[in-house]
Amino acid sequence: MTTVTARTFESVWPLLEPVLTTVRKPARYVGGEGNITVKDLADVDTSWLLIYPDAYEVGQPNQGVQILYEVLNERPRTAAERGYAPWPDMEAVMRREEIPFFSLENHLPMRAFDVVAFSLAAEVGYTNLLNCLDLGRVPLLAADRTDEDPLVMIGGHAAFNPEPLAPFVDVVCAGDGEEFVLEIDAVIASWRQAGWRRPEVLAHIAGVEGAYVPAFYEPEYASDGRLRGTFPRRAHLPYRVPKRTVSDLDRWPYPKKAIVPLTETVHERYSVEIFRGCTRGCRFCQAGMITRPVRERSKETIKEMVAEGVANSGFEEVGLLSLSSADHSEIQGLCGDLADAYEGTATSLSLPSTRVDAFNVTLADELTRNGRRTGLTFAPEAGTERMRKVINKMVSEADMLRTAETAFANGWRHLKLYFMIGLPTETDEDVLGIAELGLKVVEVGRQYGRKNKVTVSVGGFVPKPHTPFQWCAQDLPGELERKLGLIKRRVSGDRNLNLRYHDPLPGVVEGLLARGDRRVAAAVLRAFELGARMDGWDECFDYATWMRACAETGVDVAWYCQRERDEDESLPWDHLDSGLEAGWLWKDYQDAVTRAAELEDCRWTPCYDCGVCPGLDVQHQTRHLPIYASPG
Amino acid sequence: MRARVRYAKTGKLRFVSAIDLGRLWERALRKADLPIAYSEGFSPHPKVSFTDALPLGLASTGEYAELTFAAPVDLDAAIAALNAAFPEGLAVLAAAEAGDGAPRLARLLQAVCWDLFYPLGQAAALGSAVRSANAADVLVVGRERKGETVEVDLKPALHGMAAWEETVRVMVRHVEPPPRPSEVHLALNSFALHLPGPALALRVAQGQPAPDGLLEALSGEFVPLAPSMSLPRPKERATT
Repeated sequence: MTTVTARTFESVWPLLEPVLTTVRKPARYVGGEGNITVKDLADVDTSWLLIYPDAYEVGQPNQGVQILYEVLNERPRTAAERGYAPWPDMEAVMRREEIPFFSLENHLPMRAFDVVAFSLAAEVGYTNLLNCLDLGRVPLLAADRTDEDPLVMIGGHAAFNPEPLAPFVDVVCAGDGEEFVLEIDAVIASWRQAGWRRPEVLAHIAGVEGAYVPAFYEPEYASDGRLRGTFPRRAHLPYRVPKRTVSDLDRWPYPKKAIVPLTETVHERYSVEIFRGCTRGCRFCQAGMITRPVRERSKETIKEMVAEGVANSGFEEVGLLSLSSADHSEIQGLCGDLADAYEGTATSLSLPSTRVDAFNVTLADELTRNGRRTGLTFAPEAGTERMRKVINKMVSEADMLRTAETAFANGWRHLKLYFMIGLPTETDEDVLGIAELGLKVVEVGRQYGRKNKVTVSVGGFVPKPHTPFQWCAQDLPGELERKLGLIKRRVSGDRNLNLRYHDPLPGVVEGLLARGDRRVAAAVLRAFELGARMDGWDECFDYATWMRACAETGVDVAWYCQRERDEDESLPWDHLDSGLEAGWLWKDYQDAVTRAAELEDCRWTPCYDCGVCPGLDVQHQTRHLPIYASPG
Repeated sequence: MRARVRYAKTGKLRFVSAIDLGRLWERALRKADLPIAYSEGFSPHPKVSFTDALPLGLASTGEYAELTFAAPVDLDAAIAALNAAFPEGLAVLAAAEAGDGAPRLARLLQAVCWDLFYPLGQAAALGSAVRSANAADVLVVGRERKGETVEVDLKPALHGMAAWEETVRVMVRHVEPPPRPSEVHLALNSFALHLPGPALALRVAQGQPAPDGLLEALSGEFVPLAPSMSLPRPKERATT
């Protein structure tokens, strides 16, 4: 007996087409890109709508969505389509013309799909997520959804603290998505076959490794407002949901066929992830903490992926992605081989690595044999050696200046340096150190060319969950402004130094959403109702809207952002297990703030027991040889 | 080796801007692995040049481009490879080699043929509006220019106009700026009040004006102003 609900939905294209010339950049909404998969939903058992909740030009190049899109579509009886947040002009047209949120492949309304899955790279997409659901006519609150509604799922780095979105989502994916989505897909197929009710479906999903169902967990608060913990409310559920980890990247060579957009996007290139995870141990870096251990893709697989990916896309740039690409154990041979393969062609290679050392420059030189040497980017992150030790960015000033010297000597004309302000234990001397270091690099540059330029880019630090700095206080925007002023005054008048900085206000909302608990969800909903959209865009972000939403929902922003937490305070993301031992994180935090102690990279030095490898029963997958410190 | 191509931009590709279209061409040329020549300089670009841009949202079977190859290519094979590399909605229809003394491509495009497809049920109103427009001495419409509306007379640029069923075929001479289908509609609307806008406008072909039609630029084929039989309506609106 099958009780598959016959759900038929019409394409919204006939409604959409007549209004497309009235909106900006209509090519964002038409689909039809190269290398997409278009299936008839009548011919499949399960259907997914994968959404990146930001504008098309930002979301389309996202690797996570493209990987899962291919992994799911390789199943003959599964269809995955894509959607992106409409720009406000398009939203207005959709609301006026009653056009629901739609997919790009078949222009089907959101409600046609079994699963609506959002990829959350950052917190700024939260109001867009609500807007997409609202336009899709899916109830915003998970508790209001019925058997006829799609399952709403989130994943990605920001989903490692899902609590500010907990009331709106049915399922959270912690960790790598490749195997996870296939197992969820199998549950969905059974759901349709067996005719389960929604609570049964969720119960089955909660049994999938890496799945967190917020409705099955409940936070408890102490009388002072602090969290006592988030506890399972059903039998057989783990107190801590372990993250999902894919162990052999050579078995998951995706994306094989990158989607080629019809209109301009932020990254138009064939990108291949050369490894996942990072153990540099930078204490501010959430990505480096939650994606451990290091899993390298082999040089052979990478070369095959690049050769096919370039041929089947027509892209003229190849990006070798990872959190620190120069750290791949075979990077030199890989860059050499790729440079040989594409020498004399119009194909260019890029290595988005920000490592501060001469080796990085050597690699960049190799990738630009044909001569286009414009800008190189480095991330010293902090201005003084003391501050860099606190954040565990092991770069000395001598390293930085030597690296700059090598770069300018080899014909690079423009260096970009990334820094943060608002770091724990930071003094004005540390802040001014950013300006001083920038000016010293400019001096080096001048020796090689009067017009050589240095861009110093400064951002405000936002503490993130699952990092050693998850307990610390975030600087107030006024304090960040004052510190920026110190830098501005010191570097003003130097024509070769270009200072770039961000408005500190969006960082307040980012910090609130990053470390918020389930009570913050009310503020997210209220901000959406008050019109907050596209919070990552300067022209759309409205601080006053967010502050009003927080005030109306009783969310004390300072309590979440500027309060230093104790070791024994329960944190809203404690029940999501990134593999890191809380005790290790705390010790690393204390090492940082009390004695600025550095920590080596455990890929080539002995293990320091962060907890990930034994917990996940995986090891680093790398061909780096361990370097054992000589005795004495 | 220089080659000129006539190509179609239809379906979803109608919503791709001229700048984005250039990128799609570059990618398809790379994907098709054709020996396109590159410009000199700091950031080399494939040598492809386009004639005047098609307004966003309109379809065309009469777009033209000129390609410069670094080595001789077999044009039939090149068209097949390009068409395999293009996204759906973009297709080369014909190609011809351009010799050294060949006139500039733009000089071959002196007249444009447009078809305006109106909603069903408008045949009588359209027939009468076209008759009136053809009999009128002037066809004055408002044209937006730098935020201001100026009055222009379409008549001097008009090579001919005919209606059959719900389709209006209009041929205009290539003056700068060329009259747009939307302006032709405005002119017709002044003779038949409340005429709904055309569901689709198609740039059929471009070439040299000839009596009662035009000669297509690459093939010299005659495109008549008033076909003896009705043409099939394109299915743009039905596609998803």
